[in-house]
Amino acid sequence: MAEFLGYHRADGRVGVRNVLLVLSTGGLTGPTARRIASSIAGAAVVSMPYGVGLMGRDQQVTQAAIVGLACHPNVGATLLIGDNPKMTAEIAAVVAARGQSCAALTMDGCGHDAVTLTERGLRAGARLARDISGLRRAPAALSALTVGLECGRSDPSSGLVANPLLGLVSDAIVDAGGRSIIGETMEWLGAEHLLARRARTPKVADDIRAAVIAREQLAIAAGVDLTGSNPSPTNIAAGLSSIEEKSLGNIAKSGTRPIEGLIGYGETPPGPGLWVMDAPAYAPESVTGFVMAGAQLILFTTGVGNSYVSALAPTLKVSANPETCGALGEQLDFDASAAFLGRASLDEQGVQLHRALIDVASGQMTWGEVLKEGDEVVSRFSPAL
Amino acid sequence: MMMAPAPNRDASADAIQLSSEDNVATVLRAVNAGETLSIRTGTTQESLLAREAIPLCHKVSLRSIAPGAAILKYGETIGAATTAIAAGTHVHIHNLQSQRGRR
Repeated sequence: MAEFLGYHRADGRVGVRNVLLVLSTGGLTGPTARRIASSIAGAAVVSMPYGVGLMGRDQQVTQAAIVGLACHPNVGATLLIGDNPKMTAEIAAVVAARGQSCAALTMDGCGHDAVTLTERGLRAGARLARDISGLRRAPAALSALTVGLECGRSDPSSGLVANPLLGLVSDAIVDAGGRSIIGETMEWLGAEHLLARRARTPKVADDIRAAVIAREQLAIAAGVDLTGSNPSPTNIAAGLSSIEEKSLGNIAKSGTRPIEGLIGYGETPPGPGLWVMDAPAYAPESVTGFVMAGAQLILFTTGVGNSYVSALAPTLKVSANPETCGALGEQLDFDASAAFLGRASLDEQGVQLHRALIDVASGQMTWGEVLKEGDEVVSRFSPAL
Repeated sequence: MMMAPAPNRDASADAIQLSSEDNVATVLRAVNAGETLSIRTGTTQESLLAREAIPLCHKVSLRSIAPGAAILKYGETIGAATTAIAAGTHVHIHNLQSQRGRR
């Protein structure tokens, strides 16, 4: 249990996958990037939907996402597809400087012709894919792992069983010297005192409380009634009655270890241990924040079912709801209903989930990978020009 | 209504109280009105009459709760009662209000 088989990268990080990433740096070239990736075995595709006109924090976050995903440890090589040669070359230089194998092509450089860009991209991508396929997995310590902890379409079984199971695995990863991250700031509301109590320093406790208050003030200023927004209508139908109830279940994902610090959206944790990311709660944005931060794996609990997974970080789906476990056999990677029904202990199922995570880290596919569900969605923060 | 200890401790309880101070429990299966529920608490098993149907994973009140009183789950406040709630009642957004995100 002490190690997994991974891909050792030049910068010391370890990947749990070795994909070719076809990355469209703007919205104009997304369709071409998808066409290229669909023709190359083992390629993943991510498309940034925006381009020139992003300002300030949006520009910084999008740049950080492009570089963070292009250089992600699960990515063996990246094919950058952009519209503008100067901007694309600048990004390619940053990616190459970080030691990542990379090629870049642009729409402008192909005479504004998507068919030409597709053909050149397919040739360049095919070569990168063949090159990286020679890399072999080798033993790696669990301390190399960063695990993102997510929940979506939660119900009360999430807080009772599935999220506490993630907490047990998070504790084990932290104890092994790895990193784990929880996000979804809105879903700390009503439970922030419990998180703050576990903060490594008084400043970290203040940061956690301030992040929650800021998020709560956003809802108040917008006149949003949280009941019906978060918890969502799906959460409410499943039995969650308030944000407080949802949050108290949510934070069980974080286990029991000290919280080292609050990091911004998509920021890489600066050291080992458990970190909290100040981020939107909607799963696609939240998960991409973890992946930008370098998470190689996502543990994702659901109550009634949630098919969303990361394109780059294998995402293990866990549910403890017996009806959901019976109904979603090709979505859920781990059935925790035995603990819900009192037929197994949380500790027993925690050990099983830890083992399942190591199996996936070492190459076993998740349902989301088998069914090619993956996507990445980067948050927006302000208007564009 | 006080809860009496159940005569037989059943491994598969019908509902679970997560913390001893909680005034609601979570049902572990869909429950019909009029059923007697076996409630798993920290150390004992107790029984409770369900006054109405309660869907899987939803909450049932363990005792009567006064209007405005805190509703406790996980030993923490999850909202306030908007009306008088009798023991054995379905507790959800129709009789519980969040106390957060409000002016």
